[in-house]
Amino acid sequence: MAINDPRPNENLPAVTPERSVRTPLIVPNTLYTTDDARAYGGIPLEEHPNLELARYAATGDGRVDDARWSGALAAIPTKADVVLDLIRANSLWPLLSGLACCAIEMMSTATPKNDIDRWGMFPFRASPRQADVLIVAGTLTTKMAEPLIRLWEQMPEPKWVVAMGDCTCSGGRYKRSYSVVQGIDRVMPVDVYIPGCPPRPEGLIYGMMKLQQLVKDRRGHWNERAIGPTAPEGI
Amino acid sequence: MDSALATLLATKLGERLLLPVRQRFDETEIRVSIAHATETLRILHDDPMLEFEMLIDLCGVDTGEEMQVVYHLSSSRSSDWLRLIVPGLERNAPRIASATSIWPGAEWMEREAYDMFGIIFEGNRDLRRIYMPDDYRSFPLRKDFYLADDASRSPAAGVRNMERAGTPQDATPATALRRTTGA
Amino acid sequence: MPQQTRPSLDDPRISIPAGSEWYEPAPTPQTERQAEFLTLKDGEMFVNMGPQHPSTHGVLRVVIKIDGEKVVDLDPVLGYLHRGVEKLCENADYHQAICYTDPLEYVSSLFCEAAPVAAFEKLMEVDVPRRAQYIRVLTMELNRIASHTLFQGWMALDLGGLTPILWSFIERDEIVDMLAALTGQKLLYNYYRIGGVNGDLNHEFMSRLGTWMSRAAAQIDSNLGLINENELFVRRTRGLGVLDAKTALRMGVTGPNLRSTGVPYDLRRDRPYLVYPELEFDIPTRTEGDSLARYLVRIDEIKQSIRIIDQVLHEMPDGPVMAKLPRLIRPRPGRAFGAVEGPRGVYGTYAISDGTDQPFRMRIHDPSFVHLQLVGPLTRGNLIADTMAVMASLDPVMGGVDK
Repeated sequence: MAINDPRPNENLPAVTPERSVRTPLIVPNTLYTTDDARAYGGIPLEEHPNLELARYAATGDGRVDDARWSGALAAIPTKADVVLDLIRANSLWPLLSGLACCAIEMMSTATPKNDIDRWGMFPFRASPRQADVLIVAGTLTTKMAEPLIRLWEQMPEPKWVVAMGDCTCSGGRYKRSYSVVQGIDRVMPVDVYIPGCPPRPEGLIYGMMKLQQLVKDRRGHWNERAIGPTAPEGI
Repeated sequence: MDSALATLLATKLGERLLLPVRQRFDETEIRVSIAHATETLRILHDDPMLEFEMLIDLCGVDTGEEMQVVYHLSSSRSSDWLRLIVPGLERNAPRIASATSIWPGAEWMEREAYDMFGIIFEGNRDLRRIYMPDDYRSFPLRKDFYLADDASRSPAAGVRNMERAGTPQDATPATALRRTTGA
Repeated sequence: MPQQTRPSLDDPRISIPAGSEWYEPAPTPQTERQAEFLTLKDGEMFVNMGPQHPSTHGVLRVVIKIDGEKVVDLDPVLGYLHRGVEKLCENADYHQAICYTDPLEYVSSLFCEAAPVAAFEKLMEVDVPRRAQYIRVLTMELNRIASHTLFQGWMALDLGGLTPILWSFIERDEIVDMLAALTGQKLLYNYYRIGGVNGDLNHEFMSRLGTWMSRAAAQIDSNLGLINENELFVRRTRGLGVLDAKTALRMGVTGPNLRSTGVPYDLRRDRPYLVYPELEFDIPTRTEGDSLARYLVRIDEIKQSIRIIDQVLHEMPDGPVMAKLPRLIRPRPGRAFGAVEGPRGVYGTYAISDGTDQPFRMRIHDPSFVHLQLVGPLTRGNLIADTMAVMASLDPVMGGVDK
């Protein structure tokens, strides 16, 4: 319906001859979101019969693995669980998010000497839409925090985060710096911490194997992890 | 140590120098005032006997009382590094003329000095922040910008407050110096 | 004013500061040059190569103004890796300051240590023993080869070739494992100390070095055959981003980028330090100044580095590897500038001492910082894909650029 629509889209600024692209054409965000009244056949998303978004938001069902039994039956492990987990764990595609020195060691892990392709993790995707795991390798600065959070938000579920290197675990050697985020767990939930400055590729591989184990152990509840530093009081 | 360079600089720059030329190891250091900075750089760059055509570094220094801009230059005619110090910038309103008219590559180095100290380089066409975000309000390398945990004490002065295990402040020396083994 | 936040779209337990929306409105220009950049003519638009991109140089954001496929102007935005090293060094010991400088140019971190160490040694007026000088030259040249090999892989990767980077990493891993046997660390070696090096050579290092030297030259030549004679590579880089000597000197360019324009300026020859005056090696120079010339200069430097390592191994004397220094480094008040010729250019440190055990000011001059200014002028008029080719040929490392 929208393709052949002859009505002009009132969200775009008018292009008059004297204004023709002399000012930047800023496309407001509303065009491609569901705020556009003509999307989804004109029905507001919350009321759309096929999508059931309201129910998912209310019950939290949208963030649970549909392929598994839920409720009381979740305690029963099935072969489908095992297969799903195996598939996910053995094909974790990382996002290319090397920030600093640890990125070199991450690249070294991807190259033939320490070949991470043995675990299916070679395709470092450039686009967050295609990635499963965000390996934050390198120091996160306050200026980079916002782009990194945007990247993480753009990754579709299920997703995991690996903090590689001391700087991402806790700020590392930049503990007192004015522009370094003291550990990425201050801005996003982390599944595996890999300390080291930089960690050896073998260390990264060990961390990724731990992540694989986590994926298999959690049996679909990938978002159940502690958020924020979990050091006890007084430390 | 290039003593020929020292005499050459004294003759060419003459009364612009605030102090006699100082030399140590392979560095020659001169100081000029803010008003003479640009013409000194131009003399150093253009004069056929000096020919300092390479600007190696441009940085700001905050001494606590004043600010300085320090240029490091290199020439194929001399085996020494030349350091030009321009002292006397006020700490609260540091301004100096830009070197981008002679070396366009100084633009980003001056941007960094602005970002870190607040030094305004008049004539730099792009004087905005380069490292910190655009809406950042402090100038980090100034001496009155303190890092977290009051980190201005030397590590040699002893254990810092954050890391000190519970030793009472008024402990007698015998107690304070007792070291716990292992625990 | 309380900061406004919104719950994250993915996890309501996390709150994201408000304002991190999906698009940025056009910024208001603060300077003359920015206003010039932000005014669009008929048919031009902005493309943002964000801080995360498949090019492996690090977190650099480049805003490109394009007219169709041609680049009209370019504005690099830095600071995504600014860690405040200079400020941290002012609050640390001299020994700790050397440790902070390692991760700046992380692929050539021994050079990042060599410059501050040289400056501090001038402040302390201490001489480095001969054996330590030879070891420094040896390790620096090995690091240079590792860095140039990585450059080779990254240049091919940015142009689209996925194989050479794997081969480069094999080479680089071998050298880095050798240095790990010597220094204990794979990337951030932390090996140089004021007055010498931290520990003498050991059997593991020497045996790995011997194995590597016996086939280094042949291996590098075989790797090169994949790229140098590749028609795609040559046609894409020849004549791209031509830099002439006069502009290079005015822009503050040093290192292989300057030597590819015809100016034979190399600190190892013009301001010799350590034992370079006694070693025989050539300074590869080219005159074309295009990306291919910058690439070939670095390849030739690898061969010269192998030659230097060979001489160093033959002439290494015995002796101590560390000068006698007090445990607490407290130099007299003064200023010193130490510079070394790194794989990217002149890497310098200006250190000011005020008589205490902490440096008063430690200014680090990084060559990649200056070279990134060239990306705009060199890419003007070329295609978007050439942006990466030019940037790769300038070989920046964002850790050093952003300090």
